[in-house]
Amino acid sequence: MHLGTAFGSGAGSVMRPGPGTPPCNSHGKKEVSMTHQNKTLTREQADAFGRELLALRQEVVADLGERDVEHIRRIIRAARRSEAAGRVLLHVGIGPVSFVLGTSALALSKILENMEIGHNVMHGQYDWTGDPDLASQRYEWDLVCTGDDWRHSHNYEHHTFTNILGKDRDIGYVMLRVVQEQEWKPVHLAQPILAALLALFFQWGVGAHDLRIDELFAGKQTSRQFARRARPFLTKATWQLFKDYGFFPILALANAPRVALGNLLANGARNLWAFAVIFCGHFPEGVRVYDQAETENESRGEWYARQLGGSANVEGGRWLHLLTGHLSHQIEHHLFPDVPASRYPEMAPRVREICARYGQSYCTGSFRRQLGSVARRIGRLALPGPRRPVAAKPVAHPAAGRVASAWIGRRAA
Amino acid sequence: MKSAEYIANLWRSTRSTLFRRLFLDRQAEFWVREIDPVHTLTGIRAQVVDVIAETDDTKSFVLRPNAAWRGHRAGQSTLVEVEIDGVRVHRFYSISSAPGQALISITVKRVPGGRVSSWLHQHVGVGHVVGLGPASGDFVLPTPISARLLLLSGGSGITPVMSMLRDLAARSAIEDVAFVHYARTRADVIFGDELEDLAARHAGLRLIVCVDDDDDAPRGFDEAHLAALVPDFAERSTFLCGPGALMDRVEKLWADVGASHHLQRERFVAAPLFTPLVASGEGVDVRLSRSQRRVVTRGAGTLLEQLEGAGERPANGCRMGICRTCTCLKHSGTVENLVTGEVSSEPDQEIQLCISVPRSDLELDL
Ligand SMILES: Cc1cc2nc3c(=O)[nH]c(=O)nc-3n(C[C@H](O)[C@H](O)[C@H](O)COP(=O)(O)OP(=O)(O)OC[C@H]3O[C@@H](n4cnc5c(N)ncnc54)[C@H](O)[C@@H]3O)c2cc1C
Ligand code: FES
Repeated sequence: MHLGTAFGSGAGSVMRPGPGTPPCNSHGKKEVSMTHQNKTLTREQADAFGRELLALRQEVVADLGERDVEHIRRIIRAARRSEAAGRVLLHVGIGPVSFVLGTSALALSKILENMEIGHNVMHGQYDWTGDPDLASQRYEWDLVCTGDDWRHSHNYEHHTFTNILGKDRDIGYVMLRVVQEQEWKPVHLAQPILAALLALFFQWGVGAHDLRIDELFAGKQTSRQFARRARPFLTKATWQLFKDYGFFPILALANAPRVALGNLLANGARNLWAFAVIFCGHFPEGVRVYDQAETENESRGEWYARQLGGSANVEGGRWLHLLTGHLSHQIEHHLFPDVPASRYPEMAPRVREICARYGQSYCTGSFRRQLGSVARRIGRLALPGPRRPVAAKPVAHPAAGRVASAWIGRRAA
Repeated sequence: MKSAEYIANLWRSTRSTLFRRLFLDRQAEFWVREIDPVHTLTGIRAQVVDVIAETDDTKSFVLRPNAAWRGHRAGQSTLVEVEIDGVRVHRFYSISSAPGQALISITVKRVPGGRVSSWLHQHVGVGHVVGLGPASGDFVLPTPISARLLLLSGGSGITPVMSMLRDLAARSAIEDVAFVHYARTRADVIFGDELEDLAARHAGLRLIVCVDDDDDAPRGFDEAHLAALVPDFAERSTFLCGPGALMDRVEKLWADVGASHHLQRERFVAAPLFTPLVASGEGVDVRLSRSQRRVVTRGAGTLLEQLEGAGERPANGCRMGICRTCTCLKHSGTVENLVTGEVSSEPDQEIQLCISVPRSDLELDL
């Protein structure tokens, strides 16, 4: 398909009405903060858009090699060493200086393990290496959430149904109202406090996420189903508590309280960080949500377009990228979840260029801007207000079944 | 006795659960490898201590394995794991050294365009660490050793029989051994000098090397020529390893004289080297190695759809190639990725069932 004609003012391209469409950085030219209007793509345009992104992915995949394995092994080495250093400082140190250093080193190792190693390895970003230590389906991380629950709720549900209301359970983690398209309920009045609690205890929120406690209360799952889901989580959580507040403190003998406190603070720091990074990825202004009807018979290209529309980047230096596990490149991550994350920075300019040509906005901003935007939203949406309808898609959908033949999209069971 | 064993087992399993749950296992593994990369708590690794150029295209790699190596019997092979540009790749190599030594060696012929053999030749030197599988294979000398032996090899197929000969020599057990080897030129004879030396020192060893540039003998393998050289070949316990064409002819000769039961064989290439490709993906035979079931594909659907259609329930999630829930080890065969067009034909590669279509008969780890 020739792109020049595909994106003229031709019949296919429709301007999205975009109620309150957000100030997101426009791409391509100078840094202009303007009200950007996304072009709604026809299915053919979306597929052409998706194919260009896939071609970019293939280019990077063909280039994967030693450099990428070196990178992840370097990070693993840093995480293990920093964990060992942290534990030694906490266990045998005396005085506040070694306490602060030890706790920080431990927190750093937990952040690296959680973000750049665990999250990325479990996405299958290193499956191509054949290294059993980097195998997505077997990896287990140092977090109360089990690897299996995470692979289901995150890799499958969140990444497949990104930002679809009623299907993506990551939208506000089912408890918070983070977009105006969600119905207001009285419980949302407490959401600033709820959000703070979720941030502090984020690993517990993530761990319990796949148990679907809300569905238990709503009568959508039986207590037996719930018990079956909860058992692996409870087992893992018990071991994690024993590790952090039993085993390691006891090993430190007289330093036990110091070690327990250090572990608590390191876990807390990692929780706050992970919460901030993840909430910046999908809920700042400029990111949109979708409804189920609109995504029913989505093609593969439309899936790509939704991943772009539902994600936001955070700008920063190399260290920010590393500490966020490259989720600062949330957009690239959602477009290419199984490409090694350390490649996202080099892919980003190409993605922006493709988006520009297809008239798609690319939401990015500083950490302060994105976090501030999410925080303001959580505050604003706590108050009662009308539910905003999802910006409906004006293009008529071809019937189901046609998709598969064109370019393999999601196939029914 | 019983209870001591019970307590020991309980202790071992408790310890491993504890180590895994507290993430101590991976810390331990990490530090062991940091100290010395050849050491690992989870497998066999070996360090290259010497590289010997045997011929123009063949090198021996002398390896020092870690404590997990349990030794080998002469004639067995090991699955060598190397990392080529970040990717782990495995190939079998026969162990060419005699058993019972601290060092072992493999002898590799460079196959033109061959991924692993070329890489070993170009990039692996002293100090390099490779992974190994436990010694395996039943191409081994019988116990007790038969008195009259025929060791018959061609090209790089000499490696397992050389281990046997070295073993016999070390045990001073060479009573009546005929060692027949086929090579293209004299310069291509692997272990040539050592063979001459052994023949000079052991009266019971008869060494016959047939090379194509020898004017007196026929080129390559010849039935009548062999029968003239080793008239009692059919009565000897025979060990054969070499190129496919040579092996086929030897097997036929032994069958013709009714001596197949004396013939032990080792093939370097898995028997069906090439399974025909099926462009439509239809009528393909999918063997499921764990459940021991098989499925024949119908229509052009993805492997996930085909398996589901046949009543299997493989794990899956997104059904569009994103989440990797359906990731499955493919032991053998060729599949094509519908999204990217990539073709996987290496053995033991992980594939995504939901976006893969079969292109040949397959064996899956399901
Ligand atoms: C039990 C066993 C023992 C073995 N022992 C030895 C040994 O002691 N020494 C040794 O050098 N090799 C041995 N091999 C063969 C070895 O495993 C590899 O197949 C060989 O080194 C080629 O691998 P590659 O990665 O270099 O080539 P690949 O990249 O796998 O293949 C490249 C090309 O060469 C062809 N090819 C592959 N293998 C062969 C072959 N053996 N002969 C001719 N063409 C081939 C392929 O069809 C392909 O076209 C053994 C194999 C087995 C199964
Ligand atoms: S089911 Fe998700 S990758 Fe196959």
